Amino acid sequence: MRYLYHAMRMQLKCAAQYRASFLMQSIAQCVMVGGDLLAVTVLMNRFRGLGHWSAEEILFFFGVMQLTFALCECFGRGISNFSYYIGGGEFDAMLLRPQPLLVQMIGNRLDARRLGGMLVGGAALAMACLRLRLHWTAGKALLLALASLGSFFLILGLFLIEATVSFFSVKSIEMVNVLTYGGRQACQYPVDIYPRPLRLLFTWVAPFALCMHLPVSVILDKPLMDVPIWQVYAAPLAGFAFFAVMALVWRRVGVTHYRSTGS
Amino acid sequence: MAFLEAERLSKTYVRRLKPTSGGPSRLWRRDTQRIFALQDVSFSVEKGELVGILGPNGAGKSTVVKLLTGILTPTEGVCHVDGRIPWQERREHVRHLGVVFGQRTQLWWDVPILDSFELLRDVYNLEPAAWKRRLDEMTDALDLGGFLRTPLRQLSLGQRMRAELCGSLLHEPALLFLDEPTIGLDAVSKLKLRSFLREENAARGTTILLTTHDMEDMLALCRRVLVLGHGRLLYDGALDALLRRYDTVHVLRCAYEGPCDLSGLPQGVALERDGDSYVLSFAPAEVETGKVLSWVLACGRLREMTLKEQNVDQLIARMYQEMSL
Repeated sequence: MRYLYHAMRMQLKCAAQYRASFLMQSIAQCVMVGGDLLAVTVLMNRFRGLGHWSAEEILFFFGVMQLTFALCECFGRGISNFSYYIGGGEFDAMLLRPQPLLVQMIGNRLDARRLGGMLVGGAALAMACLRLRLHWTAGKALLLALASLGSFFLILGLFLIEATVSFFSVKSIEMVNVLTYGGRQACQYPVDIYPRPLRLLFTWVAPFALCMHLPVSVILDKPLMDVPIWQVYAAPLAGFAFFAVMALVWRRVGVTHYRSTGS
Repeated sequence: MAFLEAERLSKTYVRRLKPTSGGPSRLWRRDTQRIFALQDVSFSVEKGELVGILGPNGAGKSTVVKLLTGILTPTEGVCHVDGRIPWQERREHVRHLGVVFGQRTQLWWDVPILDSFELLRDVYNLEPAAWKRRLDEMTDALDLGGFLRTPLRQLSLGQRMRAELCGSLLHEPALLFLDEPTIGLDAVSKLKLRSFLREENAARGTTILLTTHDMEDMLALCRRVLVLGHGRLLYDGALDALLRRYDTVHVLRCAYEGPCDLSGLPQGVALERDGDSYVLSFAPAEVETGKVLSWVLACGRLREMTLKEQNVDQLIARMYQEMSL
């Protein structure tokens, strides 16, 4: 733990060496996510909602997703950009250090530029809250935290799929990007607007519905599924489970393959 | 059991070839080629030994290093380092291992090297007091004091190498791998580095394995060498015995004042002209050196003369040739 903290601080220090570049890229991040926000706002102004969701509720979903995704890109950049580790021989160096590989991956890259994305996501969330005049309780706050955390690990799990693939072929990364960025774009809207096959996909394969949409729908007092409340609290665990399975696959399939074939 | 033991290590890579002919089946056909990077390599190293690994490019040196450090798993065979199998107990193994790559940095590029050393303290979970003591010691020995607070990217190659060495030894490893540590260094830096390594080896009993193309490094540091070629271990033994075996040619260079008569060249001696001097080469095992010398003296008024053993690099080239590498 002390190592992880220290390694991340080191990354910030490295980033601080190039202040102008850092600033510009943070602003670029702001603009990029801001563009997405603008698109959603414009659409919602025109259509006044989506299904039985109001424009403000859609904005709430959007905010949670963008905030969580920006956090993932900030802390999980070492996982999502894993192919660079392999190409540059950095993975060999990681194998020579007595720290768990996943911890090293996270510690070796911290992308503070994503603060821009977090800010915009947070702003969207705050805006939605204000307009909705949500009635907050401790339970709802906990639910929001759980939803974010669960989705955080779910997205890291998706990054791990990319990382596993990059052991085998650096060229197929783009294909896997569909999973992560596609997942973000699709799941910033609640799952019930989609046809059944997609609903099943986002519930049982990449469980965004369980990690994010179900708890958020309860926060908005429009429960997606008719399930007991403890199950709503437990649903984000699906994200941790997804991450654990992908970490195992990464290790058993990816790392084992690397060590037996070299680079 | 010895400190480090490699038993019948083999490593085979399967390389996928791009089919160059055969119509549309190229899309799914998979032609493969097996590459034997290492075949049946066995050796053992005792604690505190300083061993050089020698071999032309592509001989399997880095494969050996990668197997012993646990980066790769062998296709066949096994090795133990201090009783551990590197690829099975990775974290415990690398805790006692230091590695320096001459061509690749393991420190952080953009921050002062002291910051890197501080992070390494946490990477290896070192006691702060022990770490500090060790760092001070290394700062003195490697003369790092002047640039501890300079970012790595601003250091010269020699300074960087010393910093790397310090980084790899902070956790006092029992085994140190050096992969071409003196590559690109100037003469002074090389000498310093060598004496530091000898010191480290003598004082702490650190076992050192070294790959290099620089024969001076080998001569200065290693009594024992392993020679690899085409993935096989071709020689394992004393360095001077190896050199003696291939040191079969002496070169005698002489220049004369005034006329000279070079007829009656002894058999087995080759003669070449180089400017105003003559270069004679011969094998001392076949032709007595004294016989050649007396012939040279009889030829005319000798102005100067030098007798040289063959240059070590040439010896190695010859050895590779003879072992058909």
